[in-house]
Amino acid sequence: MDLEQLELSPRVRNALRKACVRSVREVLSVSAPELQHRLALLSLREVKELHAAAAAACRSSPPVTALQLARGECPSLEPGHRLSLACPVLDNLLRGGLPLRGITELAGESAAGKTQFALQLCLSVQYPQEHGGLGSGAVYICTEDSFPIKRLRQLITQQARLRPNVPQALIRSLRFSDNIYIEHTADLEALQACVSQRVPMLLERGLVRLVVVDSVAALFRTEFQADEAIERARHLLAFSSTLHRLSHTHAAPVFCINQVSDVVDGPNPGRCDYGLVDSKVQPALGIAWANQVMVRLMLWRQEGCLRSGGRTSAPRRLEVVFAPHLPRASCLCGVWEEGVRAIPDEDLGEELQTTS
Amino acid sequence: MQRTVASSPLAPSVKVKLIHFGFHTAADLLDVQPLQLCKEAGISQDEAVEVLQTLRGDAQSDQQEAASESVTALDLLHQEQIHSGVVTFCSELDAVLGGGVPVGKTTEICGAPGVGKTQLCIQLAVDVQIPLCFGGLGGKAVYIDTEGSFVVQRVVDMAEAAVEHCTLLAEDEEQRKALEEFTKEKILSGIFLIRCHGYVELLAEAYLLPDFLAKHPEVRLVVIDSIAFPFRHDFDDLSQRTRLLNGLAQKLILLATQHSAAIVLTNQMTTKVSDGQSKLIPALGESWGHAATQRLILHWDGPQTMMLPTPCFAVSKGELPTLQTLGRPVLKGTSPVKLLYDLCPMLYLSFTMLTIFS
Repeated sequence: MDLEQLELSPRVRNALRKACVRSVREVLSVSAPELQHRLALLSLREVKELHAAAAAACRSSPPVTALQLARGECPSLEPGHRLSLACPVLDNLLRGGLPLRGITELAGESAAGKTQFALQLCLSVQYPQEHGGLGSGAVYICTEDSFPIKRLRQLITQQARLRPNVPQALIRSLRFSDNIYIEHTADLEALQACVSQRVPMLLERGLVRLVVVDSVAALFRTEFQADEAIERARHLLAFSSTLHRLSHTHAAPVFCINQVSDVVDGPNPGRCDYGLVDSKVQPALGIAWANQVMVRLMLWRQEGCLRSGGRTSAPRRLEVVFAPHLPRASCLCGVWEEGVRAIPDEDLGEELQTTS
Repeated sequence: MQRTVASSPLAPSVKVKLIHFGFHTAADLLDVQPLQLCKEAGISQDEAVEVLQTLRGDAQSDQQEAASESVTALDLLHQEQIHSGVVTFCSELDAVLGGGVPVGKTTEICGAPGVGKTQLCIQLAVDVQIPLCFGGLGGKAVYIDTEGSFVVQRVVDMAEAAVEHCTLLAEDEEQRKALEEFTKEKILSGIFLIRCHGYVELLAEAYLLPDFLAKHPEVRLVVIDSIAFPFRHDFDDLSQRTRLLNGLAQKLILLATQHSAAIVLTNQMTTKVSDGQSKLIPALGESWGHAATQRLILHWDGPQTMMLPTPCFAVSKGELPTLQTLGRPVLKGTSPVKLLYDLCPMLYLSFTMLTIFS
């Protein structure tokens, strides 16, 4: 932020100009006695007033009480709604759906069904707010395989079946495939360029309000050797801070898909296991990435068979590993022709059959 | 810090004359009369008066501040006994902390992602509002959120649980009367949320907090969740980061003592590799370790394993307690969390520490 925008006396302005101090960041990063030393002609009182003026200009919004947030009086800080996953049981698990600000991560083994969730979200975001969406499109960044276009088409044709509560006319009027922007990034530089240039442009124009990265682990694991951990952490931090900033500025949820790595040597104090005690796998990319994630979900593929209306699916368990507003809970879901749907607990006995 | 004549806002000709005649700092001019200065430095009487006013003004206010701030240790002990800490309603946690998170000091909470730092912070923001007759402080809280993890839904849950808990505890008339006002809405209206994006906004808040606390003297708790997040993004110059963090820590300690507030900071963990072994240590570097008065490290502990006493400055009560749950109001279903009470090195051995060891 520029100092020109502040209301300062001419004396202070002259002193700032002589010392070549131009931005508010420089003013706030220096203590009062040191700033007085640099701006030689000002008294301590004037420097303190300068600090106060710079700080007041930096504050983006005044403090609000939690009551005002709960009542929905500050939509810019607390929007009051979430991005639904198009299944009432899953929405219940997440207390409404994906939060609009912050990075949500879904980790799991290969073929667990993570991409299915991502595709379902890309369609769900296009519905209007009263049906759990955000009335806008999605940008899907593929780093591994090519985009599963056939599966997307299948999901689009089956939307009416997945969402019986939404009027048919509305579903027919939405042009789903027009609003999903697909980016293929083959290496880290392309990924950074995409996230720092093309995605902000789409967000600013209001064309998208969901960013999906599938998957975040692929490029970071392949491009760095085992001993380049610090370098990898630095790039990861830069990438995640860009995503974080975009998410907060545009109130757009960021959904990242992550791989898992094996747990080889039992409990180890040098490695954090996030409370997943009996698990043989843990999410990849380590603690550097985990510190940036707000909601972490894991998807496990299980033995057995789920039956629903004459069709079968392999059961998956979706577990909340950590989130600031969710308890550690899980639910069982299956991947059907129309998308991912979870089974409510009371129906569980009838539908789940394990092969003996 | 002494103000030098050369850096003061006086006319250059006057400055040259003062320095020529041997007056270099404000201390040199402390006991000089205007007429005397006039004769010795060869400046006019008006100029002499102006010089003394400018330079003495700064020096005197510093001296006055220094004189008024010395306090005896006995007074400090009385003050600390009167101002009890912010209780968490989890008896083991309060026992380890010696009565709750202490007022007038900074406490740092470190832990891996997902272990419960934000939960503990929100819990404290609710618990600081518990009325005095229930053992709380009856104050308000300021919550500075740098990560975006303050979710109002969770605060509402905890507020409801706190009201329920107090309703069960109410025994006498005074407590029942206090309960009438202790509602969910009142708790929510007593938490002020400030969102900061980036370290510049956090530094700006540090300058604005003293005024805010002066306007709201009932605030007894300030939470910064987390302090690590904005300072770990692309900071190329680590020495500048250390300088900024030290300055911030000093401002916070000053705030804590002047306004009798408890300051809670949250820190992340990072991996450190030494001798081929890796371990988790708190982030932000070694020098930050000295910034907070107390440091709590939260670890994951397996559900069945016993807790091993870890070498640290021993809380003289012997083994550290295992917490099975972090008390009713917190998330049900959290895995057992082990609390390591890691006291700061002897540099910060304050009076409270001595009372724990005794």
